Amino acid sequence: MPARRSVLLIVAALSVFGQTASRLDLDSFEKVWTTVRDKHWQTKPGGLDWQAIHDEYRPRVEKAATHDEARAVMQEMISRLKQSHFAIIPGALYAVLDDEGEGPGVAGIDARVLDGQAVVTGIDPGSPAEKLGVRPGWEIQRAGGKDLKAIIDQARSNPAIHELQLTRAVLARLSGPIGGTMDVTFVDGSGKTVNLKLSLAAPRGTLSAFGNLPAQHVWFESQRMGSTSYLRFNLFLDLPHVMAGFQQAVENCKPCDGLIIDLRGNPGGIGGMAMGMAGFLVDKPNQRLGTMYLRDSTLNFVVNPRADVLTAPVAVLVDGNSASTSEIFAGGLKDLGRASVFGTKTAAAALPSAFERLPNGDGFQYALANYISQGGQPLEGLGVSPDVVVELTRPALLDGHDSVVDAALGWIRRQKP
Amino acid sequence: MKRRIFGVILLVCAAAAFAADPLPSAESVLDRYVQVTGGKQAYEKRKSEIAHGTVEFAAIGIKGSMTRYAAEPDKYYTSMEIEGLGKVEMGVNGAVAWENSALLGPRVKTGLERAEAIREGSMNSTLNWRKLYPKVENAGIESIDGEDCYKVIMTPAEGQPMIGYYQKKSGLQVKITTISTTQMGDIPVELIASDYKNFGGILEPAKVIQKAGPQEFTMTLDSVEVNPAIPPAQFALPAEVRKLVDKAGGN
Repeated sequence: MPARRSVLLIVAALSVFGQTASRLDLDSFEKVWTTVRDKHWQTKPGGLDWQAIHDEYRPRVEKAATHDEARAVMQEMISRLKQSHFAIIPGALYAVLDDEGEGPGVAGIDARVLDGQAVVTGIDPGSPAEKLGVRPGWEIQRAGGKDLKAIIDQARSNPAIHELQLTRAVLARLSGPIGGTMDVTFVDGSGKTVNLKLSLAAPRGTLSAFGNLPAQHVWFESQRMGSTSYLRFNLFLDLPHVMAGFQQAVENCKPCDGLIIDLRGNPGGIGGMAMGMAGFLVDKPNQRLGTMYLRDSTLNFVVNPRADVLTAPVAVLVDGNSASTSEIFAGGLKDLGRASVFGTKTAAAALPSAFERLPNGDGFQYALANYISQGGQPLEGLGVSPDVVVELTRPALLDGHDSVVDAALGWIRRQKP
Repeated sequence: MKRRIFGVILLVCAAAAFAADPLPSAESVLDRYVQVTGGKQAYEKRKSEIAHGTVEFAAIGIKGSMTRYAAEPDKYYTSMEIEGLGKVEMGVNGAVAWENSALLGPRVKTGLERAEAIREGSMNSTLNWRKLYPKVENAGIESIDGEDCYKVIMTPAEGQPMIGYYQKKSGLQVKITTISTTQMGDIPVELIASDYKNFGGILEPAKVIQKAGPQEFTMTLDSVEVNPAIPPAQFALPAEVRKLVDKAGGN
């Protein structure tokens, strides 16, 4: 009798494990399907009979022998929408990207992935990195004991991973507790390995809260580059200070040869700020940057021209980390013929898109609206293509040159009558 | 055969008509609303007011304060201080309807949006509904939160109709729906009014939930100063708005 009871228990346990695995995938399938049904900007998502899609794909998930197979079926289902920013991201990869570091402390290094390497592209003034002599153009090989190249290679193996996520994954590895230190291995301009113990300090800027968003450090800077004005800010947040700084920079540009607005690395923020800022630059009334289509309404991103707008040429700088409001601003001004855009293609993430974890541990990305720039092109999935494509290169950075700023300055000089 | 069927239908209709209460006219529903909220005299006594309250966008965790100034016949100014967004002002000064915010900058409203703002800026608009809505119609009864309400369609001379829902039992307005003309487009708007309180002799909803497109916020009215002296400068156009009016060749 005891033996039989044991057998029964083992069978029961196997049965439970078997059911749990498929149940999580089925629950994930239902979450993906209902999310699209309830939140897609079209009541008939992608013009499809979404109930019929459910009935077609659910049996296939039920029959899936493995988790990978179930994920492939779900991915195929959302691919039927033929719309960007709908993706299933494997749980393991999600974990790699999700590493938020061990704290908010940073050494003051901005970095990008150039040719598969993490490269220093900027150093915050007065930061620990500046004090220890870190220079733009240095390659970052290891941070906090982690091999960045391996992380980059793993992330780049999935085409769903965009440059924006990749950069975030790299920068997360360069963060830790404020007051702590981090061992970082660089390769300098001469190819020499440089090992530094970098202090971690509070990020640059002012801590700014906006509603339920976690408070973030926001900074704004402007300067004169000869007879051209240059401004840059890291987020479309801290509205009172950033808008005031923008207005002041525009005023300081009267007169000037031109204005450079550097949105590289700016992931967006409050969408309305794009409209407000454009009002300082666009003189013609009744213009819009684009249109956002939601399920129950259509929102025009209009421009309210100020009484006294800037008429000098405007160059907007972007890269693959310029997202959301940055894209709305850059794309709209480009379409209105008010700015020339320099750099590399933007993140193609202009929509309010969300990432959610599924019951089976995978990630699900979905878009909530469609945004069409004034030129008639959706930014989502396509991004803003610069008028002049200029890529940052390690050799130029090591030479002390920002090739994108140089290109914009040259263009502004050529606009002079 | 056909005649017989018609006869039956007519009988059914007649029976239904006799069974139900006659639907009151839209005019009587709107006049009753004036009556139950204080009466014509109470409204006529009110020449100006300063209201204080709060606004909250609960879904995104943003709150703010609100102060509204109004004076006969057509002066209106509201200022909101919203966390993270700064100051948002809007006003009507006679024929000019305007808005100014740290987010979007100054602008002068035009077209249907202007007409809508002027209607909303009209002092004692509840009492003066006849001037603001030349056509009104009682479209029937609809249940809202289990209470029968008269559904009154009010059509202005310019702009989209507004549908007001008035409780059959209390006569109070509990809901408004309309399509609001904004600079960002025509946006479906729903206002849910509740928590009626007596503010200086007039019942007003102390809580209004406004759903406008993808956004929902709650306005809470805390106090109303009745007939305060409001200096004319309070309704003057801000300098940035004045510049826009001058640039457009306005007065």
